[in-house]
Amino acid sequence: MLKMAHLAWIFLKIGMIFFGGGYVLIPLLHRIMVDEYRWLTLKEFLDGVALSQLTPGPLAMLATFTGFKAGGLAGALVGTVFIYLPCTVLMLFISRYYAKFSSMEIIRGTLDGLLPAVVGLVAGAAYNLGKTSLVTPADFMILAAGFAVLQFTRISPMLVILGAGGMGMLL
Amino acid sequence: MEPKQSVTLSEIFRTFFYIGLTGFGGGMAIVALTERICVEQKKWIGRSEFMHGLAFGQILGPFSLNTSTFVGYYLRGIAGGVTAAVGFIFPSFCIISFLSWLYFKYHEVPQLQSALRGTNPVIIALIIVASVGMGKAKVRRPVDWIVALAAFASFSLFKVSALGVLVAALVWSAGRSWYLREHA
Repeated sequence: MLKMAHLAWIFLKIGMIFFGGGYVLIPLLHRIMVDEYRWLTLKEFLDGVALSQLTPGPLAMLATFTGFKAGGLAGALVGTVFIYLPCTVLMLFISRYYAKFSSMEIIRGTLDGLLPAVVGLVAGAAYNLGKTSLVTPADFMILAAGFAVLQFTRISPMLVILGAGGMGMLL
Repeated sequence: MEPKQSVTLSEIFRTFFYIGLTGFGGGMAIVALTERICVEQKKWIGRSEFMHGLAFGQILGPFSLNTSTFVGYYLRGIAGGVTAAVGFIFPSFCIISFLSWLYFKYHEVPQLQSALRGTNPVIIALIIVASVGMGKAKVRRPVDWIVALAAFASFSLFKVSALGVLVAALVWSAGRSWYLREHA
């Protein structure tokens, strides 16, 4: 029980400093999990990073992996809940204030002024991903076909992704 | 705000569970999927509101989760936000727990990475479709184009963090709102 409380506390702390998100997290998690508490070896840590990236959840799913090592399924649950607790609570607060104040003209105007930047960031994410993973002409053909299907039909992205995976194996 | 449709918690859970289960590609691919489902298909939330949530989510870190929380809250308050967050994380939690169990038993990482890699072009297409949809609606005036292109270039070419880009855009936009109000 004490161990679980300790685990909860550590992951809560990680959750609180993980604003800004993404890859700043890796060196931090490494220091805590490998150097400080020795929950994982270096190899286990790197394999865990690879595993976390297979799944849809954010990279912090590494918390599940480390929690599992440190305390089985209960440890995995504790790690996952507590690493996400701070950002979820904060997001609920923001959502609440948003609901209250977003109809004020000055707030609304400021937030709407942000939206073109959001569009730029979404497009930028596509560009960054494309730079590393669009290599062969076949990749570009799948990209074009995928774009056409997703833009002009209502076929579920899940089916399109699975279809492309199948095609990728055949090509 | 105008009254929202009443969406049951179980429908929120099911929807975000589905997003969490099928949103391969992580991060922005999930946001693109969430936008397609919650904005385009179910019309649960307007595009502007969704994008505001995405901006907040990016400022706070794990934005795919944060955007889910935001949409859930928008629909059903705190209960909705928590339901969406849990529904979204739950599939990943199960998959990772299972894979962790396999890993610590056999010390092998399953070779799924190569299989998933073939799907990357479609994931990119999904993100592009989302950005085209958002852009058509929200990037109209020349000034919008300048902001969008500046954000794109600083994020992807000059490696400024999303947080940095959004804070800069926020300062700019707040200043502009004040100016327009004072000089209206």
